[in-house]
Amino acid sequence: MIRLVLVRLAWTVPILLGVSMVAFALMRALPGDFAQASVGTTEVSPEALDTIRRNLGLNLPVWQQYLHWIGNALQGDLGTSFVTHKPVLAELLPRLAVTAELTLMAGIIALTLGATSGLASARLRGRTDWLVRLLNGLLLAVPNFVIATLIVLLAGLYFPEVGIFNYVPFFTDPTGNIASMLLPAFALALAPSVSISENTRAAVLEVASQDFVMVARAKGLLPGAILRNYLVRNALTPVITVTGLQLASLLGGSILIETIFTVPGMGQYLFDSVSSRNYPAVQAIVLLAATIVLLVNVAVDVAYARADARVSYD
Amino acid sequence: MTERRRGGGNALILIGLFMLACMVALTLFGSLIAPYDPSETSPDSLAAPSAAHWLGTDSIGRDVLSRLIVGGRTTLVITFIAVFCALAGGLVLGLFSGYVGGVVDQVIMRALDIVFAFPVFLLAIAVVAALGPTVPNLILTIAIVYTPILARVVRAPVLSVKRWDHVEAARSVGVSEFSIALRHVLPLVVSPILVQTSLTLAQTIFTVTALSFLGLGPPPPDPNWGGMLAEARQFMELAPLTVIGPAAAIVFATLTFIVLANGLREKLDVRSQ
Repeated sequence: MIRLVLVRLAWTVPILLGVSMVAFALMRALPGDFAQASVGTTEVSPEALDTIRRNLGLNLPVWQQYLHWIGNALQGDLGTSFVTHKPVLAELLPRLAVTAELTLMAGIIALTLGATSGLASARLRGRTDWLVRLLNGLLLAVPNFVIATLIVLLAGLYFPEVGIFNYVPFFTDPTGNIASMLLPAFALALAPSVSISENTRAAVLEVASQDFVMVARAKGLLPGAILRNYLVRNALTPVITVTGLQLASLLGGSILIETIFTVPGMGQYLFDSVSSRNYPAVQAIVLLAATIVLLVNVAVDVAYARADARVSYD
Repeated sequence: MTERRRGGGNALILIGLFMLACMVALTLFGSLIAPYDPSETSPDSLAAPSAAHWLGTDSIGRDVLSRLIVGGRTTLVITFIAVFCALAGGLVLGLFSGYVGGVVDQVIMRALDIVFAFPVFLLAIAVVAALGPTVPNLILTIAIVYTPILARVVRAPVLSVKRWDHVEAARSVGVSEFSIALRHVLPLVVSPILVQTSLTLAQTIFTVTALSFLGLGPPPPDPNWGGMLAEARQFMELAPLTVIGPAAAIVFATLTFIVLANGLREKLDVRSQ
């Protein structure tokens, strides 16, 4: 097991290197002048710009700039914000925590909704199955920012006493914080819950058609026991994988949801940074998000191997 | 899925094609059908739906229905061209990578892994932000983001089809490798590609409208669905119903391609991934 983790982690190193190069190149391909963007105004004397360039290391060859940037990043220095002139990492971490909370809540909601509806759909069949599949099909067609907008609209129209935009930090008011995150998390969770539901349904149906389930039924095991010991356990593997792989879409979706519900997370920080041309922050967020996705993929692989003995550890 | 029979899905495909035809017709003849000039302002701003303005008017008195019809063109043109480019890129990369195999395949797939590490939407925002939000840049961004996904879908079946006997037979009678790949391998892997292309169209509608929603879409004054939704959101308290139009249009377009994808999947018996 430890070997599996190490091998998978080793694989992510070259990919991370590529990711960092893309993140770096992206911000160097900008049409505008990096140095000019860093002061945020066009009225700078050429001499002052030269000094800024030298301070930012922009006069060096590109590969040296990259090495400098990635070296600093590895030591936890992701650059200085062009807007506030504070370290990007210090601004990013509290926002990352907010996004992590939002994503976690959305993940739990998505897993609960998806697994329950998928299991019900596969076991009850008939009208329940039809209804779940219809709802899934329709939900799939409603993008999360449309759902979020409609939620805000409906809440505003019918429940004006529910504050939608009152984000409170966790440590000032834990219950208030969780309450304020529920609607955004729900809006974010709907899309992933559809694919979890469809995959759960397919996996349970697949397992239910296997011979060993028929044997279990023939020897008189109670339906509840079959469900617990055979169906759920065997259908778990694909469901774990899908849930893990939804994380990337949750992170991407959180940009929209946080902007709509004004939740001060990483997505909103990215949006603000893009609007204000705060390139070091954009770079840092892109790098961080990709790293998180890669690490979660490793975790999914490992969970997969733990749940399914047939997966080899090599 | 075990219970699906082969050859089903005709009804879904027909419904999908009908919805697609409606959208294409609106795109082509939208400016003729639209009751008003989409950029024409009037003092009657944020009006509720009425006989004169079926979906009401926006904050500077423009007719929402007309903007919706004309705005569809921007959104759909970007979507179609971008997915076409992504499909072309995915076909070339996936076919080449899978057919040649070996080290070339490994290098291409590892390079694609790098792109896969980025959440699609986050990458799209970063690329559009870097290039600037114009129509050609949006198309380029979406092509870049979705090419790897299509390349993977093309490559997987190529890996097995290229070992089939008819390929060996073609090679033994001296057919060139290029034409084997194109004429003896590609036709056998079309089904999953069709399904994935349809799904990609649905996802692209999402990406384009979501980028526009965040203000990273095609520049004004041309209307587009995502931008209209964002604008309607600002005036939601005064004119809640203006949100419905763009929202419904986005859902309709996405639904079209999902219905098509599901129909194709059943018809062509492609296993869901």
